[in-house]
Amino acid sequence: MRQLLNGNEAAAHAARLARVEVLASYPITPAAPAMEKITQFIAEGSLKARFIRVESDHSAMAAALGASLAGARPFLITNSQGLAYMSEVLYHTSGLRQPVVMAVVNRALAAPHSRFPEQGDAVAQEAAGWIQLFCENNQEVLDSLLQAFRLGEDEGVRLPVMVNYEGYIQSHTRETVDLPQQEEIDGFLPLMRRPALDVANPMAVNTVAGPELYMDFKYHQDAALQQAAAVLEEVSAAYARLTGRDWGGPVAGYRLEDAEVVLVAMGSLVSTARIAVDALREEGEKAGLLKIRLFRPFPAVAVRQGLPAARAIVALDKNIVYGVGGALGRELRASLYGHASVPVFSYILGLGGRDAGVADLAQIYRQVRENMVAGLTPAAYQWYGL
Amino acid sequence: MELINSLAAVPDTELFTGGHGGCRGCGAALAARQAMKALGPRTIITIPASCMATIGGSGLTTAWEIPFYHSLFECAPAVASGIRAALDIQGIEDVNVVSWAGDAGTADIGFQSLTGAAERQENIIHVCYDNETYMNTGGQAGSATPYLAATPDTPAGKPTPRKDMLAIMAAHRPAYLATASVAYPLDLIQKFQRAREIEGFRYIHILAPCFKGWGIKEDQTVQLARIAVECGLWQLYEEVDGRRRVTVIPERRLPVREYLRLQGRFQTMDEATIAALQAAVDRRWQEVPS
Amino acid sequence: MAAKDLPLVPGARPGSMAAAAAMERIREQRPAIDKEKCNLCRECLLYCPDAALAIAGGEVRLELRFCKGCGICARECPARAITMVPEYAGDRGLVGEE
Repeated sequence: MRQLLNGNEAAAHAARLARVEVLASYPITPAAPAMEKITQFIAEGSLKARFIRVESDHSAMAAALGASLAGARPFLITNSQGLAYMSEVLYHTSGLRQPVVMAVVNRALAAPHSRFPEQGDAVAQEAAGWIQLFCENNQEVLDSLLQAFRLGEDEGVRLPVMVNYEGYIQSHTRETVDLPQQEEIDGFLPLMRRPALDVANPMAVNTVAGPELYMDFKYHQDAALQQAAAVLEEVSAAYARLTGRDWGGPVAGYRLEDAEVVLVAMGSLVSTARIAVDALREEGEKAGLLKIRLFRPFPAVAVRQGLPAARAIVALDKNIVYGVGGALGRELRASLYGHASVPVFSYILGLGGRDAGVADLAQIYRQVRENMVAGLTPAAYQWYGL
Repeated sequence: MELINSLAAVPDTELFTGGHGGCRGCGAALAARQAMKALGPRTIITIPASCMATIGGSGLTTAWEIPFYHSLFECAPAVASGIRAALDIQGIEDVNVVSWAGDAGTADIGFQSLTGAAERQENIIHVCYDNETYMNTGGQAGSATPYLAATPDTPAGKPTPRKDMLAIMAAHRPAYLATASVAYPLDLIQKFQRAREIEGFRYIHILAPCFKGWGIKEDQTVQLARIAVECGLWQLYEEVDGRRRVTVIPERRLPVREYLRLQGRFQTMDEATIAALQAAVDRRWQEVPS
Repeated sequence: MAAKDLPLVPGARPGSMAAAAAMERIREQRPAIDKEKCNLCRECLLYCPDAALAIAGGEVRLELRFCKGCGICARECPARAITMVPEYAGDRGLVGEE
């Protein structure tokens, strides 16, 4: 069934279709409408779930974690300050191997205060042990959220998943979204009960782990996170068989076969870059696009395989890791080092809602191409659009 | 429900067992042991950062016989809210969901999630085991630390009075509110029995002395918990629908000086301050219906 | 070197601390119960922070693996039936088992 939905509505429908059982969320702009929509579903009876009207984002994550530990399938939505505030609970959730799914409506972090889109909020949580998916449009928001439950709950993974989409650009922009049938999703997402807190089988959770244990627990956690890339391939394939929509696995290439200059992006910038690549191709340019769908674990192998003909790589980062550069730029260089000597041109753009359109990406492309032809070594990173 | 009216009627089963990592004479462990006699095996407990979060679980060993989660410092009542929601949605009834925090996890760093859960009237029991200091980090002062108590970070005595958590929690109109003391185990056990029969938000505040923080001897934990009641500084009562009932009227009354002078932490308190404290206690005592 | 095989959710199963208890390693004194004086009032049972006391076979039994020797039982016993005796006796070292 096709509907005109904004990203928040798509996320709410995903929660309904996934039959989430506990919603614990604290309102934050521009994510709050997703939470409101789910409470509407609950009120009208199309979703049987408990809403915990928490007093903060920290408690939202804590309540979702508690619900997961007691065997339910929880859901929550947040971003920016809320995400930063829940940070320590993110670490508990991944460390306790709870497959909580959360939508993150990416928004810039203060200060200075901003309520506009950017991916720095999610990037700041890169070490929290969560799987992180980024979505290029609202259909992918719905589809990735549904896949996120199956991915996180997979027996070989059992980790929490963050599904990212940008504030306003996605959260408040309507697009056509095809909603799967409930029965299809019920078959795709069977509910599994694996309570850690169970009166019939008591366990003490998060006992103090000394130096003889902590590192081994962390080894297992990281190994499980590394599994997530392969499992995402399987889950995406199963979802494609069900719905006909295939978002690929950890990465997805566009016009890469003979591409010499490859734009690399995640989130809404991917759909912008797709148009830019088409326009450049019409001009005879050998431009291509590599979409990073899975940011954590970072799919280094898939990235290397996805860039067969590249002579220059353009990392487009809507985030800044202060003093280091863009997260994608850093990851791409690390992934390629020792495997290929392709220069990575790293651009910081679109921070705090600064526009980054098709013409901007085409201009960046031309800059990079000139530098490549001139044989210049890329700067560590550069700011675009100041 | 049949109230446990004699020590002989207290169940033998230990749900917080021996072998835990508490200090000698630990008032916190004692409070948990006593409470578990009433709460029983169908209980899920979450304890935020505190002595109690760590002494019952180390490595691959635990003293808990019930499901226990050592939660983050700020959020035990929020975790408990999530647990309750998960049980409700699964149709699991007759399980007590308890968040059990120290005075920091209740009155200070944990207060935001506590007031949130209380306002929502979550169907949980929150317990504050109160040793009046941050004992797990070495005994620094918190908002529950009494006036002029010397601690590692208030060596000259805490300059401000203790926060009145019971008044604050009463203002949330909880379904049940009670004070308890580890020196009065039957009273404590009966309060947990009553609390578990009531639906809604329930708050129980237990005075649980810590020998290290209070400057007493290891064997004086129960003695001080009793004298606190006998001198009138800690009153044992319960409130249902806002109506207060004093549950223990001590057989003897002691001056507050006796309570204070037994403890190392009040050594700098002068006689004028003690007299003022005594006057305040006397006023409050007169309000108690006999 | 392979990582240790561990529970997926970090934690522990019931009974494990009780099974591993060995408080003789830290105990400096222990309660001695005078069975003549003990009236089985059970007060000590509920005042013990370590669940070391129980009534069995018509008398108060002490689980020494749990007892840390705090002395609360001795102080609180209304019948004054409990006294604390030292585990160490200066140069003579450990006091022998009863």
